[in-house]
Amino acid sequence: MRGTSASYLLAVTAVVIVAAVTSVWLQLLGTASAALLFLLPVLLVAPRGGVGPALTAAAGGALAYNFFLLPPRFTFRVHGLDNLVSVFVLFAVALVMSRLATALKTREAEAEARASANAAAAEFSALLGKGEPLDAVDNALAWLGRDYGEARIVAFDRFSEQQETGFSTLDLSAAAWAMHNGDRTGHGTAIMPAAEWTFLPMSLRHRASTDLLALARPAGGETRNELELTQVQALARLLGQARDRSALDEARRERERLEDRDAFRRTLLASLAHDFRTPLTVVTGELAKLADTDEGAAQALMAARRLDRMMDDLVGAARIESGALSPRSEATDLIDIVADVREALGEIPASIRLVQQVGATLPLIEADPVLLRHILINLIDNAIRHARSTVEIGARAAGQSVEIIVRDDGPGIPADDRARIFERFARVEGGDRSGGSGLGLAIARGFADAMGMTIAAEEEGGGGGRFRLAVPAWKTDLR
Amino acid sequence: MKRVLVVDDEPAIRRLLSHVLERGGFTAAAVASAREAMVELAHDRVDAMLLDLGLPDRDGLEMIAAIRATRSIPIVVVTARGDTAEKIAALDLGADDYVTKPFDGDELLARLRSALRRAGSSGARDSALHFGPLRMDAERHQVTCRDESVALTPREFAVLEALMRADGRILTHAALLEQVWGKAHVNDIDYLRVVVRALRLKLETDPSSPTLIRNEPGIGYRLVDPA
Repeated sequence: MRGTSASYLLAVTAVVIVAAVTSVWLQLLGTASAALLFLLPVLLVAPRGGVGPALTAAAGGALAYNFFLLPPRFTFRVHGLDNLVSVFVLFAVALVMSRLATALKTREAEAEARASANAAAAEFSALLGKGEPLDAVDNALAWLGRDYGEARIVAFDRFSEQQETGFSTLDLSAAAWAMHNGDRTGHGTAIMPAAEWTFLPMSLRHRASTDLLALARPAGGETRNELELTQVQALARLLGQARDRSALDEARRERERLEDRDAFRRTLLASLAHDFRTPLTVVTGELAKLADTDEGAAQALMAARRLDRMMDDLVGAARIESGALSPRSEATDLIDIVADVREALGEIPASIRLVQQVGATLPLIEADPVLLRHILINLIDNAIRHARSTVEIGARAAGQSVEIIVRDDGPGIPADDRARIFERFARVEGGDRSGGSGLGLAIARGFADAMGMTIAAEEEGGGGGRFRLAVPAWKTDLR
Repeated sequence: MKRVLVVDDEPAIRRLLSHVLERGGFTAAAVASAREAMVELAHDRVDAMLLDLGLPDRDGLEMIAAIRATRSIPIVVVTARGDTAEKIAALDLGADDYVTKPFDGDELLARLRSALRRAGSSGARDSALHFGPLRMDAERHQVTCRDESVALTPREFAVLEALMRADGRILTHAALLEQVWGKAHVNDIDYLRVVVRALRLKLETDPSSPTLIRNEPGIGYRLVDPA
């Protein structure tokens, strides 16, 4: 505003000066030359002040020329067509000059705005590229806050949680619209302009759901103009790209972390399976030398072998836990597995009789033989630890499967505990006589699940524990 | 006396194995690394070797392959349980047999002896075979078990012949299937199961508790002398 009044003042002053100069030297200049001099104020004022001051200079010049120079001097009467032409030319020049000047100024302003937008985008990009991605986004938001008003990110996937954070119902509607349609909405736009905030999509329009940049209405009640909106929209896209990059980075880091953890697990498993066995081999080997002559060494040997089975359990538990089980499925003869299990169990306490009732003509079964062997070792080991005098392993064909039954004549499993005993480290109250790993039944369940078999603890007619494992029979024709 | 090379990086295991070998009538030479083992082998003073697959300076499987490229010396591998794939790989690469930690001394000696018998045989295919209670005349397709004649189908005969020629060494399922049924059937393990069942019904005193034809779950079959 101040700039415009200064231009009017300049116009009047220039006219007064030209009028004074030409009045004094009229004799010397002649009226035609003097008239030309009145173009000077117009030329002076038009580029700076625009149309208003230019016309003022033209009108003032015309009046002054008429009053001071044109005969009859010191009147506003006009004699002759040539005088009228002088006044008209003065006005025409004023109009054309001021138009030209205004067009130039507009173009200059646009160029300046473009340059400043580019500079802003460059500065913004630099800010986003600096430091940790998340910090960079925060810095960029702060930068926007300084130049454009408070800025926030409205995340699509957390939109419902963010509804309380100072947005009005209208704001939220505008945000929802922007999110789902990819338009800019709210203050300064065509969609819900009454909202207090402007919402700008952070990703390209074709994306169905996008995070938003929310920008508060400028302070002082001004309306955000189209130019600024376009500028901020570009910045919002930059911000969106930076966030996408940081999300990718985060995903990559997470994947690396998981891979590290898996590698650690694999190393641990390998080390348990391998390194731990070496000292155990020394212990059992040295004890075996003495076991024939020394009852204590024989007992220690049995304990060491149990320790070895516990190691198997620990490795098995880790494999179940880490999802590293990939069971094979092959035609298996239960006879083979039971024979191998009996050998693996080695010597059993003299007070326990192990009875085997597995017919040699049962159907073949479909199983991972190594996992099934481990299940049966654990079931029989568990039965031996609870039996009074007898453990029995039996099997029978039952439709499409073969049922394996392991039972003992011990105290049995209370009905309430039958589901719970398959949990890790579960103990039946007052029922456990000597230490298993506490993992045996949990591993039996885990391996059975992995192979698609069912395992259950059941009611045993004459008391005692009873476990039933249902194994699918081998399906293809036997040739 | 046969000289057996023990290759294991753990001193206590070397001591234990040496003791077992000496008890079994062998001379033991123990080394701690693959490099030393290769030096011993180069001097040609070794009749058999017990090889731990977990050596620090060289992959055990790779070492078996390297030895087999030039030598047919019996190799019995010492390995941890659970590594079914590793055992099969070792056997495929030419190891004669394996024992699993913690191993039984007698079992180890039995494995070593049958590996040495394999190496000692002339290479010509004898037609008269025997193992424990079994006698086989391969040319005439005749088998006796505990001096009683047994009638076998051609498949049963072929499987039993392969096991008897292995002479107590383990044969992987795939190796047996390939020898008897051909390369196309190396995965048809059910064929093998059915034939082994039939053999047990004819040969074992109690077919539901087999003591003669033994299976190692996931690996293969071997003959064991029940006596």
